[in-house]
Amino acid sequence: MPIPFIMPKMDMDQEEVFIDQWLKKEGDFIEKGEPVIIVETDKITSEVEAPASGTLARLLYQENETAPVTKVVAYILVEGETEADLPVLEISQDEKPVETAQSEISISEKPIAATALAMRIAKAENIDLNDVPSKGEKITKEDIDAYLAAKPNKHRVETPATPAARRIASENRINLKTIEGTGPRSRVQAVDIQGALDQKTRQAQTISSLEPIELTSMRRRISDRLTTSYQTIPHIFLTVEVDMVRAESFRKQLNETATDQGMQKISLTTILVKVISGCLTKHHFLNAFLEDKKIHFWDDVNIGIATALDSGLIVPVIHHADKLSFQEINQKVKTLSEKAREDLLTREEILGGTFTISNLGMYGITSFTSIINPPQSAILSVGAIKRRPVVVDEEDSINVRPMMNLTLAADHRIVDGAVAANFLVDLVDTLENPASLKELK
Amino acid sequence: MGTKKIRAEYDNEETTDVFQKAEALGLSKPDLVWMYEVMVETRHFEEMATTLYGLGKVHGTMHLSIGQEAVAAGTGLARKASDYLLNHHRGHGHFIASGADVNKMMAEFLGKDTGFCRGRGGSMHIADVSANILGAQGIVGAQMGIAPGVGMAIKMKKTDQIALVIFGDGAANRGVFQESLNMSSIWDLPVVYLCENNHYGMSAEVERVSGKVPFRDRAEALGVPGYFIDGNDVLAVYEFMKNAFDHARSGAGPVFVETETYRILGHSKSDRNLYRSKEEINNWKEKDPIQRFKKLLLEGDVITEDQIEDIEKKMTKVIDDAVTFAENSPEPNIEDVTEYVYA
Amino acid sequence: MPEITLRQAIHDAIIEEMRRDSTVFIMGEDIGAYGGAFGVTAGILEEFGTERVWETPISEETIVDSAVGAAMVGMRPVAELMFMDFMGVAMDPLINQAAKARYMFGGKATIPMVLRMPNGSGTGAAAQHSQSLETILMHIPGLKVVAPSTPYDAKGLLLSAIRDPNPVCFLEHKLLYKSKGEVPDGEYTIPLGVADVKREGTDLTIVTSEIMVHKSLSAAEEVIKEGISVEIIDPRTLQPLDVDTITQSVMKTGRLLVVHEAVKTAGWAGEIMASVSESPAWDYLDAPMRRLAGLDVPIPYNRLLERASVPQEEDIIREIRAIVNNQY
Repeated sequence: MPIPFIMPKMDMDQEEVFIDQWLKKEGDFIEKGEPVIIVETDKITSEVEAPASGTLARLLYQENETAPVTKVVAYILVEGETEADLPVLEISQDEKPVETAQSEISISEKPIAATALAMRIAKAENIDLNDVPSKGEKITKEDIDAYLAAKPNKHRVETPATPAARRIASENRINLKTIEGTGPRSRVQAVDIQGALDQKTRQAQTISSLEPIELTSMRRRISDRLTTSYQTIPHIFLTVEVDMVRAESFRKQLNETATDQGMQKISLTTILVKVISGCLTKHHFLNAFLEDKKIHFWDDVNIGIATALDSGLIVPVIHHADKLSFQEINQKVKTLSEKAREDLLTREEILGGTFTISNLGMYGITSFTSIINPPQSAILSVGAIKRRPVVVDEEDSINVRPMMNLTLAADHRIVDGAVAANFLVDLVDTLENPASLKELK
Repeated sequence: MGTKKIRAEYDNEETTDVFQKAEALGLSKPDLVWMYEVMVETRHFEEMATTLYGLGKVHGTMHLSIGQEAVAAGTGLARKASDYLLNHHRGHGHFIASGADVNKMMAEFLGKDTGFCRGRGGSMHIADVSANILGAQGIVGAQMGIAPGVGMAIKMKKTDQIALVIFGDGAANRGVFQESLNMSSIWDLPVVYLCENNHYGMSAEVERVSGKVPFRDRAEALGVPGYFIDGNDVLAVYEFMKNAFDHARSGAGPVFVETETYRILGHSKSDRNLYRSKEEINNWKEKDPIQRFKKLLLEGDVITEDQIEDIEKKMTKVIDDAVTFAENSPEPNIEDVTEYVYA
Repeated sequence: MPEITLRQAIHDAIIEEMRRDSTVFIMGEDIGAYGGAFGVTAGILEEFGTERVWETPISEETIVDSAVGAAMVGMRPVAELMFMDFMGVAMDPLINQAAKARYMFGGKATIPMVLRMPNGSGTGAAAQHSQSLETILMHIPGLKVVAPSTPYDAKGLLLSAIRDPNPVCFLEHKLLYKSKGEVPDGEYTIPLGVADVKREGTDLTIVTSEIMVHKSLSAAEEVIKEGISVEIIDPRTLQPLDVDTITQSVMKTGRLLVVHEAVKTAGWAGEIMASVSESPAWDYLDAPMRRLAGLDVPIPYNRLLERASVPQEEDIIREIRAIVNNQY
């Protein structure tokens, strides 16, 4: 086997040598250790010695050519060998064209001309060098800087924020841009996100996940009217407690009579309507209205009864309540509430109220305030009757009594506190005094 | 100026009659053959190293001791296996002379997992601590600083070992030379300093960079007995190193031996020998220690031409087998790259 | 528990370990009758003699190199450099020998050595006797770096350092030698690489070591009056570094201040901050991480200048307030 003459590597980072001179020709006998080739690397000339003794054959690289190190550059035939013993030519010659082709490819694929620094910056900033205009032959750092300066939003971070703020914002799906940072240089800090988060929690309490409901025309009316009332009428509120023990027993008597006569049982509402309308005839300011800076009084006592419906609130009116008997009122209350539920109330039946009663007692509400239904001057909120211990005499005796709260809301422009108080005192007296009640018959 | 000019004669007389000398030193024929074999084995190892490097199979660089083999062989024979060896970066010969497995050396040379340092050290850092070979230094002369510590340990452990520290003429100009010899001297540490003067620290010719006082005299000035001998005379090396070891082992303190030899090849693979003449190199090639010893052995009828040929063949095979072993060995696991940083 | 000085704690650790393990020995300049420049080794020569107390010439390079050599062949040297500054003379043994031998020799060598180095300013010793160069050592894989702040830590850590199979650089702040602390009787060790929470707090984490631990503790006592609660982490070993304890603390407080006496530029504060940045704690930071470190100057001689060149308690207080009150 001919011995391959391998171009030795002389430096750690060396890949090729330039062949200056072959000191021997093909066919010359060479001795191991004898200089055979003069090569140049980095401007230094070195001799390459024969790796073995024999006849030099097939020089694969000529003078003034570049040869790769650690590759075969020639062969050495030992005694008895001829050129016929050399390996098939294609193998070794194939290497050269392939390498040339590779280098050509790499030339044609040369990237856009740019300095190394520019390329590095472009890579770091994720810039396509094709987009960068160049002043000279090559794109420089200056070109990149100019390009970056011209670009809007060159800061990747639009909203300065601490990592903790970013984390909490991200965990709670809060957009940082919506947060005003209180840290140095308006940096958003955890505390700012926490503030936004608390606000969001509050909002979450009123806005349920239910689909929002369009306001019906009725609700819109209620809404407008109540808003106007609440914003324009200065409300005063007075609450009073009523011992309903006598009123209850009175209603019992009435009901016994009614049952005997085959009539409807009298409701608490009926009692109240009757008592209130009686009082209103004596307390005109509670049955009045304001217009053109004048207080006007109504002759009639028309009591509206706030009635809850699925679709909203409606206030059917018992006209001339002061002139009606318990039975008559009772009948009207019943008819009107049925009609209200079935949406059959006529326009007349809901107009003309001069005073309103709102009763949430059936829900167990003991005390509440209501908003005046304009142009009326007052509204009475009726709480639930609760049996509880109360002092019943001057000896501080305690008895369990059915107690009820009444809260009057009055238009302070018409009704002074004392006026309202007098009305309530009268009302309580009537309810607590069976004699007065009987008079009302 | 320069060590050569101010230097006295060699402390040794040139060996001319191998038989007489061997008898005086108490060396047997196998001892002589062993030294010759070590020198040949080292030469083959390093020539193969050059070849492998030329073939691009070696990742790093290497420092060859061609022309210096007698120092390693003579010292190796004098050293006991229990003695510690602190080596320099041009130390292939000393490892081979210390009985290191050339397979593992070659594997380390090729950076393989089966190498002495599992591919972490390379040619420059071969070590075999369990065989008392405490490694080769990449920092020129650092082994001189380490040696007193080894000597201290030997003293504390009360063993009859010694610490052999080998360094070159370049290293001998370092400050640590003074610190180390002084410390060994004040405490009579069992340390033998072997200065392998091969005339060049990289390109720095010893005469150009060393002061007017020879290294031997510097050692003497620190209270360390110093000798200057012909390092290409393997029997002289053996003789003086044996005496040095005996002296140190006896508890009498450190000894310094300077052996003059010559680095035939460049400092490392990138050396183009621009700083010295071809004539100078060729003159020293004439003094090749292997040829010189071979001539003595043949003249003294210690060995025959056939035996010489057999040794050549044997060592060629030993080194070829080492290459086969190394080339067939696996690369280290990349996952283990952080292993061995901490114990 | 008895209260002893940090000097005594280190002395006790050495002498107890020498009694326990015959391979342990000490070496260095003036460590014998003189007792060491700071008196740490006083009395050891009397007990163990020159066989285990090697009083060296002024040869720092060979002191450290020899420690490597002795360690490589089975001894456990505890070497002393009189001042940490002198490690400049011994850099080759440290970075090229002690740190490299094991790796470069493929795991075949073990270097169980300790290099004690008094460090720090405050003694008027000026530029070449006052430095804190621990960061340089942390940068070298293969070395461990220990920097205790209390007598208790010093003793437990030194015992671990001597028993550790690796080269350990052991820092001793000169101003702490006289500081006292409780140290239990009997043997105990503190593992290398475990930080200690020197004070718990909620508003700010301070990572600091050696004397700065004490200055930070005082500062924390001051700012708690303003309702600022500071947590103080003492890594105790800087290499290996207990990053977990630090990040856990930062995740709790959201703010980090690193205080060290070593100069600021390329100091280890940067390493701590980088580790936090790379950890899950990043997402819990609510203020920029800050560092308070020695000025980038050699330590000056003049008392006022010297004081001004390294962090003081008032600087730490100022920095804590600035971070917590967004005034940075």
